[in-house]
Amino acid sequence: MNEPSQYLGPMIKGTIDGLSITVRPGTVLLNAARTLGIHIPTLCHHEGLPPDGNCRLCVSQVGGRLVASCIYPLTADGFQAQTDNERIRYARSLVIALMLIRAPEAPVVVALAREYGVTEQPRLRRVTADGCLRCGRCVRACLTGGAEAVSLVGRGTARIVTGPFFEPPPDCVGCLSCARMCPTGIIGFTELFDRRQIWGRNFQLVPCPTCGRPWATEEELARLNADRLCPACRRRAMAEAISSCPTEN
Amino acid sequence: MTNPDQKTLNSILDGYPGEPVNLLPMLQAVQTKFRYLPREAIILVAEKLSLPKSRVFAVANFYRALSLTPKGEKVFTVCQGTACHLRGAPVVIGALEKALGLNLGQTSPDGRYGLESVNCLGACALAPVVTVDGVLHGAMTAKKAAKLV
Repeated sequence: MNEPSQYLGPMIKGTIDGLSITVRPGTVLLNAARTLGIHIPTLCHHEGLPPDGNCRLCVSQVGGRLVASCIYPLTADGFQAQTDNERIRYARSLVIALMLIRAPEAPVVVALAREYGVTEQPRLRRVTADGCLRCGRCVRACLTGGAEAVSLVGRGTARIVTGPFFEPPPDCVGCLSCARMCPTGIIGFTELFDRRQIWGRNFQLVPCPTCGRPWATEEELARLNADRLCPACRRRAMAEAISSCPTEN
Repeated sequence: MTNPDQKTLNSILDGYPGEPVNLLPMLQAVQTKFRYLPREAIILVAEKLSLPKSRVFAVANFYRALSLTPKGEKVFTVCQGTACHLRGAPVVIGALEKALGLNLGQTSPDGRYGLESVNCLGACALAPVVTVDGVLHGAMTAKKAAKLV
């Protein structure tokens, strides 16, 4: 998603890990590699969200340069990219070591650490292990949904995800996009009967008109501007509509 | 400290077209007027630019030149760049802390004085450097710094 469109001109040719590929100029390295079936590890990247190049896990090499492949546009004919070598693994290992300090228990991070043979490095232990990697995926999820109720605030190690004025975000609609997008799953929320709580805000869940299951907040329904059917009932309604369609023959 | 009222805020902000590029200039204008960014100002700027409050808050929080708490009327800024540090910035800070009765980074309760540090002012030849309300004083010593107060 969101391939830069300012690049125009004829298709360009190059290689990724020695395999030749022809791409539209401006195609980011990550996407080009994926079309070749080459795996590049990612964390802050998500197909449905604008790329941010934030976590640097997808670091790869173009020519002699290390680049974040999720945001690196291929623009010149004859590019030579590598997605796995000694130098790249070293760079990724450092990124993972930093992640390990912030979120030592997160399954994604633990799996990466195992894959790259990274162990916790005491010299990096200058920040609290609060489980948040500051990758900003929650913020981009919120932004993509239209609310941007929370953002990354502060600088350096003091950066945190929070609502304006460090208070419960008034623009939050309780849609849980942030919590579902969080790679470490650290964004907490509770759901009890028809109540939902997230970011210190309380929401009333609205029942589905068909099955009566409380499933979404009034605020998020208002934003979606859709019917109030829960996903299961919407699928059934859709199936019924299709099956009752008169066929041509 | 001046109390922010909607009228004054509006008079400061009305001159700016409602486009996101004006975010920083608007915040700077409010900062200059009130010596901090009142909560009302952040909310008003967000409304005027149709930006999320969270983003305006994040920007306000990011820059050292912007402050969410009132800064002193007379602000002493001590450079802590490498040159200034080596030529005695810590001593100068100590002297100013004593003279003002403040710790580095604090503002006096009456809002008259503030003591801050900065990482480099680019005036390394004059090290150690202190600025008072933007006016540069070079080759500081503990004695000279105390006299500035």
